[in-house]
Amino acid sequence: MMPDFNQEGKGQDQAWQPDLTVPAVLLEGVSKSYGRIFALSNITMALNGGVTGVLGTNGAGKSTMFNLLMGKLKPSQGKIRLFGTDPWKNPAPYARVGFVPEHEKMYDWMTAHQFVSTFARLNGLTRAEAMVEADRVLNFVGLTDVAHKKIGQYSKGMRQRAKIAHALVNDPELIILDEPLQGCDPLARTTIMNVIRELGRMGRTVIVSSHILQEIERITEQIIILHKGRLLALGNLHAIREKLDQIPHRIQIEADNAKELAKDVIDLDDVSGISFPNKNNLSIQTHNLGAIHADLPKVIVENGHRVHTIDNPDDDLASILGYLTNGGGR
Amino acid sequence: MEAKPNTIYRALDRKAAAITEFTMRQYRTKASTWVILGVGLVAISLVMLIYIDVMASGFESIDNDGDSLDPDNDGYPTGQELKWGTDPYMDNSHPGLLTPPIEPEPASNYIDEDGFDYSITGTSTRQTTGFDDDGDCYNYDGTSSRKDSNQNGVECDVLLVQDRYSGQWNVNPDLNVDEDPDDAAYVAEATHMAFVLGIGKMGFVLLLGMFLPLFLATGLIRDEMSAGTMHFMLAKPIARTEVFLYRILGYLGIVWPYFIALGILFALISGFMGPSDGLFRFNDLGVWLAIVFATMMASFVYGMLFCTMGVMWRYGIVLAIPFAAWELGMCLISMGAPDASILRFSVIGWALMIVDAAAVLVWPNMDMFLLQGTTFGNDLNSIQTSAFALDFFYSKPGVGSNGLISSVFATVVLLVQGALLWFIGGAIFKGKEIE
Repeated sequence: MMPDFNQEGKGQDQAWQPDLTVPAVLLEGVSKSYGRIFALSNITMALNGGVTGVLGTNGAGKSTMFNLLMGKLKPSQGKIRLFGTDPWKNPAPYARVGFVPEHEKMYDWMTAHQFVSTFARLNGLTRAEAMVEADRVLNFVGLTDVAHKKIGQYSKGMRQRAKIAHALVNDPELIILDEPLQGCDPLARTTIMNVIRELGRMGRTVIVSSHILQEIERITEQIIILHKGRLLALGNLHAIREKLDQIPHRIQIEADNAKELAKDVIDLDDVSGISFPNKNNLSIQTHNLGAIHADLPKVIVENGHRVHTIDNPDDDLASILGYLTNGGGR
Repeated sequence: MEAKPNTIYRALDRKAAAITEFTMRQYRTKASTWVILGVGLVAISLVMLIYIDVMASGFESIDNDGDSLDPDNDGYPTGQELKWGTDPYMDNSHPGLLTPPIEPEPASNYIDEDGFDYSITGTSTRQTTGFDDDGDCYNYDGTSSRKDSNQNGVECDVLLVQDRYSGQWNVNPDLNVDEDPDDAAYVAEATHMAFVLGIGKMGFVLLLGMFLPLFLATGLIRDEMSAGTMHFMLAKPIARTEVFLYRILGYLGIVWPYFIALGILFALISGFMGPSDGLFRFNDLGVWLAIVFATMMASFVYGMLFCTMGVMWRYGIVLAIPFAAWELGMCLISMGAPDASILRFSVIGWALMIVDAAAVLVWPNMDMFLLQGTTFGNDLNSIQTSAFALDFFYSKPGVGSNGLISSVFATVVLLVQGALLWFIGGAIFKGKEIE
């Protein structure tokens, strides 16, 4: 209850020291429910070092998990430890943590330099120290040129980078980024991805969330997949992908005469199965997606079929989730 | 960056100063802050304009006993004729016919010629005091019973009798004693003091001290929680109770200088406009100091309270409004019954006690002044009206009549209230889940 009299950012527990024998992030059977709705149910995991991507659709529980880690929410069940300390009870671990919230709202009336240096002082830096650190991190995220412009004039990507600079100012060991790429233009995306990869190379523990598989793929191989509050998969992305390749890919074609088209398509070598979800739709199963895509246009044109759409439904997160939840994506 | 000694300055330059400065700058960038401060300034300035107008137009002296008139047109005012024993209604009877003949005096000599000069000495509940300044009682050519109309055996005195139950003094002067006081001086003095206390209590402590926090402090934490920007602050190694406290400090950094500036402005205006022997009424500065201090204390406690209400509920201002109404009621009660025990359960009761205590210290003769004014004459006159107005705003401090002890006691109570609310508000904030 007493204010932090030495003001050095050690929070309530002045003698706080991280427990180095435990992982940076530890969740044991953590659930978070709102009434009868579970936002997160029975998550157990430990993370230490490297970049970890958290994948999940909107509402999968990514932000809930981060808010639990950052002590914003209290777990309904289970145990959460940041460097061995319960973040709900003691804010001291945040001395070693940087957090980029997903919220878009920022202090538009401040410059990025003011924003970063002001909040750096909450880590226990003096005004002069904070200025130096703010310059350093703004350079790291590539905002030096515009550091003294108001955040209100920033593009989405610049705002995200200002938020990242704010999180990095205390040189944290654990960095949590909630949807840092959302709404960014391609250039900003590349810059932010480079920053995240760089942090990983520096040996920090980085947790980054996204709902787009391709984004995560470009950053890291270690992923966590959350779906409807449950932990679906934790591990190497390629391992998960390989498992996916064991089951056939699907190509969905909408055509005027699906049955006639099927007769022509079935002669192709790599087709392993055909089904008709409905009258005008044809679903082709294959283990060799590339070959089918090479041959399919020729078959369609030579036999004069009228085709409206060709779709590969398995290439996105939804199908991975479908595979992981139902074992086949159908 | 390491190994510099952690002086107090270097310590405060970190978290506390960062959030306090940040909060002050945030207030300054919001248009709503300026609107609220501006509305407060306009509202209180309107009352001050009335005061300036009243004081600048001056007060008229009235010949309360009519002895400046000359009904027989012999050139001698009634008062002068009565003094020399001639008949004021017969033009062939006037002091000019005496030997040696007396020159007529101007009528103005018989306006405001017999002021209040009685006082209470000792502890007796029945006192005879007072003096007939103009001699129109002593020189009255009549029976002794006419000179002793209050029938206490003393001619031309003022009889003071204290009611043994209410403690009120009953004032009963003999005929033509203290019958024509200086209206202009009395009304100016009473009106001035009534305005200072009225603006101080209602304008500063109630209006500014409560409504500014209502609009400025309720969203201090709540707005950040709703907007999602609280995440930036809480992602740092800082306890939420600390954030709460430093945000309040930032809010006080805006409103306290505002109160001080307004207080100085108003003290200067009333000091120059108010009645005084010299150019400036230095005497009142003590009251103004107390008014500004009480407003600062009130805004501190209310800030903690309304900020807590904002944390409790998204629509914290809805919780705050019934409380503001309660405090308004307590403010009115404190005017009439400053020792009512229900005032102990308010903030404003204690804040106003600081003002009351200062008024007692600065204006020690207030009781006699009010007694003289409220009991003067039989009909409602300007002296009585101004005295009643002053009586409404002036109250004896509730805990004992010692001003110094009362103000210290009230200050301590307000500090404890504020600290308690910080404890409660911090605890609620600590247990609050933030999306």
